[in-house]
Amino acid sequence: MTRTKASLLEVEHITVRFGGVTALDDASLRVNSGEIVGLIGPNGAGKTTFFNCVSGVLKPDVGRVTFDSHELGELPPHRRSRLGLARTFQNLQLFSGLTALENLMVAVDAHSQRGMLADAFRTPLARLEERKAEERARALLHFLHLSDRADTLAGDLPVGLQRRLDLGRALIGRPRLLLLDEPAAGLDTRETAELADLLLRVRDRFNVTMLLVDHDMALVMRVCDHIYVLDFGKMLTQGPPAEIRQNETVIRAYLGEAVV
Amino acid sequence: MSTKARRITLLVVAVVAVGWPAMLSDFSRSLATDGLIFGLIVLSLVLLTGFVGQISFCQYSFAAVGAFTVGSLVAAHHWSFWLAMPLGVFGAALVGALVGIPALRLSGLFLTILTVAVALFFDRFVLAPGTWNSFSGGLSSWVVGRPSFLGIHLDTSYRFYLFVLGVFSLCSLGVWNFRRGKTGRVLRAIRDAEIAASTLGINLTAWKLAAFAASAGLAGLAGALLAVSIGSVSTGGYDLIHSLGVAAVATVMGVGSVASAAAGGLFLVWGPEILRHIGVSSQWFNLITGGLLIVQLIVTPDGMVTDFQRKLKHLLGHRAARQAPASAAEVDVRERVPVRTGARS
Amino acid sequence: MGAHVVLGYNPQLLPGFTVIGIVLGGVYALAAVGLVLIYRVSGVLNFAHGAVAMFATFTAYEVSTVKGAPGWVGALVAIVTGAALGFAIEWLTIRPLHGRPALVKVVVTIGWLLVLQTAAGLIWGSTSYHQAVRLVSKNGFHLVGTDVTVGYDQLTTVVVALVFALAVAALLRYTTLGNAMRAVADNPDTARLWGISVNRVTAASWMVGSAMAAVAGVLITPLIAFDTFSLTVVVIYAFTAALIGRLSSLPMTVVGGFLLGLAQTYPRVFSSLSGTADLVTFALVLLTLGVLFRPGGRKVRVV
Repeated sequence: MTRTKASLLEVEHITVRFGGVTALDDASLRVNSGEIVGLIGPNGAGKTTFFNCVSGVLKPDVGRVTFDSHELGELPPHRRSRLGLARTFQNLQLFSGLTALENLMVAVDAHSQRGMLADAFRTPLARLEERKAEERARALLHFLHLSDRADTLAGDLPVGLQRRLDLGRALIGRPRLLLLDEPAAGLDTRETAELADLLLRVRDRFNVTMLLVDHDMALVMRVCDHIYVLDFGKMLTQGPPAEIRQNETVIRAYLGEAVV
Repeated sequence: MSTKARRITLLVVAVVAVGWPAMLSDFSRSLATDGLIFGLIVLSLVLLTGFVGQISFCQYSFAAVGAFTVGSLVAAHHWSFWLAMPLGVFGAALVGALVGIPALRLSGLFLTILTVAVALFFDRFVLAPGTWNSFSGGLSSWVVGRPSFLGIHLDTSYRFYLFVLGVFSLCSLGVWNFRRGKTGRVLRAIRDAEIAASTLGINLTAWKLAAFAASAGLAGLAGALLAVSIGSVSTGGYDLIHSLGVAAVATVMGVGSVASAAAGGLFLVWGPEILRHIGVSSQWFNLITGGLLIVQLIVTPDGMVTDFQRKLKHLLGHRAARQAPASAAEVDVRERVPVRTGARS
Repeated sequence: MGAHVVLGYNPQLLPGFTVIGIVLGGVYALAAVGLVLIYRVSGVLNFAHGAVAMFATFTAYEVSTVKGAPGWVGALVAIVTGAALGFAIEWLTIRPLHGRPALVKVVVTIGWLLVLQTAAGLIWGSTSYHQAVRLVSKNGFHLVGTDVTVGYDQLTTVVVALVFALAVAALLRYTTLGNAMRAVADNPDTARLWGISVNRVTAASWMVGSAMAAVAGVLITPLIAFDTFSLTVVVIYAFTAALIGRLSSLPMTVVGGFLLGLAQTYPRVFSSLSGTADLVTFALVLLTLGVLFRPGGRKVRVV
């Protein structure tokens, strides 16, 4: 499948140095609209650093990250989501004191304009927005098969469901680009397969572009349209899954790790 | 508890709150009034600590801003209470936001130190007796008269009590609405995982400052009402020990629920009274409060009222048996401690 | 702020104020050392540190001034009381909270602050002026080259403070207990593996730290108002010094104490503003908190 022209995320020649260590060396990547792009690489390849640059947490020494023609490095975190950029967390970072429903609702709240005063007096606008937020949250819970857990505290959910909730929380804001940080971490084979299905369903249903960073080859091969391979901070190669699977350099880089 | 049960409870509480004081003595009524005013301060802590998870030991300093604004403007410059009070609340909120600014970088332990420093600063500097001597004729000359509300002069103890009851109820309702709505969710999200919250689009700075400002504003309102209730303003009534005491009571009662506010306020007022009745110096009150605080933290970490409410819900078979950390001290576990030192348990 | 604020530079006051600043600083340093010791070993920032100092000092007062025993006996009683209080706080109320967040334990110490403060007020009266415990006469000697008189009591204060601070440092460096304390401060789990009784070491740290607070209390009372609340408040000064020492380095904490003492006194050379000590402290607290906790790393932006 040839890559379409509409580029949504452009990572250009980023280099990151921590003291004497070069974590990323002239790494570039492109994500086009509607694609699911994967970034893989052995441990210590620089994936996390790369992810942090893309999500805007870390500013690269050289190069830049452009999302939909906005340069990300300059924006504070809460502005990025307004642009349509969302992410999940490897360590989940769920709001453990809030219920599953509230976790999703707060993601909707984050984009609403009403302030504290409207809340305090429960103005008609506040009540309307509240009801709508709840509807949207419940709909998404339904899609994620989490409806029966709506009132459970997020902290009480099992890990697999927490991951789904984390995904839902990133999705409910209707992002254009979703960054997934090791979404399969801590999941077994069955759960990973379910996750793969879910991601594909999400892409179809919500029309959201994704950049996925993970270790799990099964997931990446199954879900991604295009894969980039990172090793020692450098981009080794890129291509569709079929090519990558057979690529000699990639296999060698992963020597010692299971390649599906 | 179910909506119906809750409505009935509220109705009963309302009837008692309005009816019973009508039959009490003036003195008891003014005690109840003060109890509600202190309840507002506890409420301000419920907002700050229960939602945001930050502990503040300088609420009385914010109250002082409200009290002194009203005191000086109403007593010395003969402003109307209805102009002075909003100004006092706004001033307190402003100071609260100012305190919130360094608090943006700090959390837990170090924020606590900051609020103690603020309270001490207020004590020694802003509230020093000498500060106010030459200002507006000196404190002792301030006589803060009762305002009129909708044409009714609030000079009797019952009328003033009802007024304060109304204010307290409105504020409690407001905080409860926060809890149910966007504000409560956003603040609690910030408390639980602020980085995730910011990536969702929540402006951490704005919300944290707003929370501080709102909490301080509530305390300021309490201060303004206190000035009117007592009829004068004294520098000694808003010091660090008071702030510590109210924070202790709030923790003991539990900052997880709005009901703690009323319970806390009444406790603050009737505790010393009861002691006086049984012939014990009311000084013992702080001692008992401190002791209760220690015991409570060991035994019922969520606070007595919150714990009781939860047990009640459990008993009535409420679906979501919430184990959420609502204890004042438990909520904020993140501590940014320098390099080598360990903030371990 | 009184009706008159005298503003102006009075250079001849400098040497005299330097002496005062150093004396105050010495006491702050000692109190801070005790505080940091407790914090590093047990992980708890003891808000009741000043209250413990206050209570212990009052027992010294009771023994010496009221009952007539010599000053040093009173001081000894204070030290014992301080250590006993420290032990009680740790054993009764901190140990049961094992596993809970550090903030909970801090709030417990706030509870103790309230308890100790009101207890002292009930026993000894909260507003009366008390005569401070005098260890040494107030006579002094002239400092060469200036017309400043350094009182023997002032000299003793600084010397005793330094001696005790050094004693704590020596304890940590050269004794088994001290080594155990440092091990626990670094990593209690590892220390446990090495056979160290973390509970006993922690209790010991509280006792030593609180004893230091007691000494600081006895030393400072001739210099400041001696009542049930001023000393309690010294805990904030100790905090400030401890913050300057980044809550970890004892030498820096001592330096911080002296710095604070001087910083609090020098502004008086310029003005007679009565809140200056607290203003300076407040500014220093903000400064150290701001400097210490700036998010690290030029690239990582959090918030």
